[in-house]
Amino acid sequence: MSGLVWGIVWGLAAGVLIALGALIGVWWERKLSGAIQMRIGPQELGPAGLLQTLADTVKLVLKEDITPRAADVTIFRIAPLIVFAPIAMSLVVVPYAAGFAPLDTSVGLLFFMAVPAVSVIGVLLAGWSSRNTYATIGGIRAAAQMISYELPRTLSVLPFVLLAGSMRPLDIVEAWQWWWVPLLAIGFVVYLISSVAELNRGPFDLPEAESELVAGYFADYSGIRWSIFMMAEYGGLVAAAVFGAALFFGPFALLPGAAGVVLFVVLSAILATVMMWAKWTFPRMRPDQLMGIAWKVLTPMALVQLVLVGAVVPWL
Amino acid sequence: MALGNGNGDGTRHHEVGAPSRTPEVVPVTVNVTDDFPGGVAGFFERWRSLLVGFGITGRRALGPTTTLRYPHEKVVLSPRWRGALRLRGILGKDEIPILRDEPPVYNDLIEATYRADRLPPCVGNCPANVDARGQGYFLGENKAVEAYELVRERNILPGVLGRICHHPCETACRRNYYDEAIAIRPLHRHAYEEYAKVAEEHLKPFEFTREERVAVIGSGPSGLAAAFDLMSLGYPVTVYEKEKKPGGALYSGVPAYRLPREVLFNEIEYLEKMGMELKLGVDVGHDVPIDYLIGEYDAVIIAAGLQDSRILPLPGHDAEGVRGALPFLRAANWKGDAGVKGKRVLVIGGGNVAVDVARCALRTGATEVRLSCLEASDEMPCHPWEIEEALDEGVIAMCSFGPEEVLTTEEGRVRGMRMRECLSVFDAAGRFAPQYGDEYLEVETDIVVFAIGQAPALADVVAGSDLALTDRGLLPVDGTLFTTHHPGVFACGEVVTGPGSAIGSIATGHEAAISVHRYLRGEDLAADRVPRPVPIYAKYEKATLAGVEMSRMRVQMPMASPEARATDFRAVELGLTHMEALNEAARCLRCQSEVCVGCTFCARTCPDYAIEVERTDDPGERRVTHYDLDLSKCCFCGLCAEQCPTDALVHTGQYELTFFHRGPVIFAREEMLRDGGGTRATGCDAVRAAGEEAGR
Repeated sequence: MSGLVWGIVWGLAAGVLIALGALIGVWWERKLSGAIQMRIGPQELGPAGLLQTLADTVKLVLKEDITPRAADVTIFRIAPLIVFAPIAMSLVVVPYAAGFAPLDTSVGLLFFMAVPAVSVIGVLLAGWSSRNTYATIGGIRAAAQMISYELPRTLSVLPFVLLAGSMRPLDIVEAWQWWWVPLLAIGFVVYLISSVAELNRGPFDLPEAESELVAGYFADYSGIRWSIFMMAEYGGLVAAAVFGAALFFGPFALLPGAAGVVLFVVLSAILATVMMWAKWTFPRMRPDQLMGIAWKVLTPMALVQLVLVGAVVPWL
Repeated sequence: MALGNGNGDGTRHHEVGAPSRTPEVVPVTVNVTDDFPGGVAGFFERWRSLLVGFGITGRRALGPTTTLRYPHEKVVLSPRWRGALRLRGILGKDEIPILRDEPPVYNDLIEATYRADRLPPCVGNCPANVDARGQGYFLGENKAVEAYELVRERNILPGVLGRICHHPCETACRRNYYDEAIAIRPLHRHAYEEYAKVAEEHLKPFEFTREERVAVIGSGPSGLAAAFDLMSLGYPVTVYEKEKKPGGALYSGVPAYRLPREVLFNEIEYLEKMGMELKLGVDVGHDVPIDYLIGEYDAVIIAAGLQDSRILPLPGHDAEGVRGALPFLRAANWKGDAGVKGKRVLVIGGGNVAVDVARCALRTGATEVRLSCLEASDEMPCHPWEIEEALDEGVIAMCSFGPEEVLTTEEGRVRGMRMRECLSVFDAAGRFAPQYGDEYLEVETDIVVFAIGQAPALADVVAGSDLALTDRGLLPVDGTLFTTHHPGVFACGEVVTGPGSAIGSIATGHEAAISVHRYLRGEDLAADRVPRPVPIYAKYEKATLAGVEMSRMRVQMPMASPEARATDFRAVELGLTHMEALNEAARCLRCQSEVCVGCTFCARTCPDYAIEVERTDDPGERRVTHYDLDLSKCCFCGLCAEQCPTDALVHTGQYELTFFHRGPVIFAREEMLRDGGGTRATGCDAVRAAGEEAGR
């Protein structure tokens, strides 16, 4: 019973975290893309336009919730939640401080990699239930892409299991050594790239490809349901950033107590920024390039990393 | 696999002798999925390219923005500004149903909104609304007489103003934006010179159809303007002038090097030939009491101007050698000798009168002329070209100094002036409140001339009547209707406005004439009359002239050399030749006339080279010979219409709605290129001042 109560509490906390992350993330992304494109970005509402996203949220909530006449209504309505919920769940196993994760489980690493993969089903359902050519193409593209990138992404974090001898994130954080950073450099790059691809963010945003597919699998969504998709995207961004920061850079081992948490937040923000930076730097890839990178570049790289770590482990 | 082009190795085959229909065989030899070479080098190059990309966007993000920063303050646009926002009111909520109508209906609505207000900038910026656009049109057609008569409608002395006007028209000229303003003032002068040759044939006396008689006191520009207007309405007018020669301030104040006297007297003689009765040497108040005029005439206009020079009550201001500007100018203008031969002169003041005094002092033999003013050199109240000419002639300007004390010898003669440094002239609210510094300066001089302002001297004029003056000697006058508190007595000119320009005085003369006309016919004076603000036109930055063809540049007025002209009262400006004037007039863009003048600015602006314009410029044959807008090239950016000076090319409502199809695009070539004649080209219909009704 108490497990259910805690589950509800952490579920709400994750929801709030994602909402805040999306609120600040959208603002930050707009500012950053503005700077990159030599514009200014939002500036009218609040200091430096900070309240712009809040105003946009109100607008989105008030907009009409449109359901296409031909759509499979039930699936159409729940699809955004199927996309959003697993991503929110994945945040539960992240270590937010030394010795603290909301859900402390011995298979945390597996949980973090496996649960968000369920959202592929939501994307596919959204595309299919819209009964719209573009949406369906977008959904299929998304499924192919997300499943492909599962592999290098999971492989890229396997070295932690070898090094720490545990799949429990808290154990990994505790076992963290500074020389992991140079050792796991290749794995980090693979993790970062495949996380971006997993989120369908640019330059891997083929499923949404505005210029080809209108908006891909969520072409027919509006208002609050559309914004749940966007929340899922930013939630995934936050999850990838916080998990990467905690595991690859070991902020809790570098600085003790609250200082470590601050460092953790800063590192997460930097990682998120780098992912946004990539979106506003590189053009969208072609599907063949996308698959080529996943199978011919990232997967071998992750395997090389695994072999490298495997060679080091006996000497520890 | 995508199609490659068989690049490089000649893989594009044709079967020799085969019929041309046979499709080409194009073997694909390039793997399009890979932009990088294989192997290790390719691997590194790939990663390097990613980092380069990050570097580029990173540097971008750190650099300054180059796009517009949205203004936090709301920008207040003049209602006359009609750029991209022209359609705003039209696309408002109420009018939306009109969009479904046939295009012409919608077009008419738009037309009506912007036609309500379409004076060309030169006409609108002129206080008297002189039709400079029409002048340019007629002069370009080599019709100087028509041009002169058109200008004379609103500016009764075109030859005089062509010499001395401060030309607000040229300041507002739209051509400033493209290259250089039209030389409107020199064109007035040219029109006069051409007209003077044939004046005898064209001068006809007005027919006096009305019995009421009007007296005008003063023969300055405002008095003459009122007289001209009233004569054209059919009233006999008598002008009283206390001096032996007419012209008022033009005769006594404006030096002959700017305005040759024969031009002034000639033009006033034209007015006399049109029926104006001029009584010279009659000093109203001394020779004739004003009550006599009020009894004898049905209306009296006081246009006496400003007669007194102000002198600062400094210590020593009554010493021998301290002079006022007006007596000084009168002496210099009438006798050619102001009593300064071989002496040093110090002029106090920075206005146009001060500059005139300084230049007259040079011409009457002063050895050294200094001009001292409170203002810094870049904020002097005189016109910049005037002080520039004075400096060329050798006047020494001492800016940012205020007079403190006149130094005198024991015999009571001026020997110098003690000056004090002036830090700022106006306070934050823009009021006159000079701040002085601690530095003092003593200037040795023999003559001090105060040119710090003039005041009316009306005490004698109004003596014996029930017209009362204020404590400061001013006559209370309504600034819109130009009435005094005595019915039938009006006032205009500098008596009302204070020191101002000649064209500003003429404008008040026109207004006073309207009041007199309505008064005599017993109509409501105030009907549809508003205080007439001069509309504000966009001030353009100086256009970049690099690469502008010589044929587009403003004609240069030849000037007498500074060394020679400063010795006597010869004219400084030498005048344009006939060909120069024709060319200059042809530069006029005829703004807002809605007729294409072939200026080619649309073609120059078009980013797609979709517009072709050709024209001929021969007088009598001036027209656009070819105008073509290639709608298949047009990208509908609207830049052509934005900058079209004449509004021949305009946005229509359909223009903005062309994203469905290009059917409703209006390109009214016939309308644009219709005959250049008629009122819309000359602008005659656009220059009726407020309250001026039919009757001419």
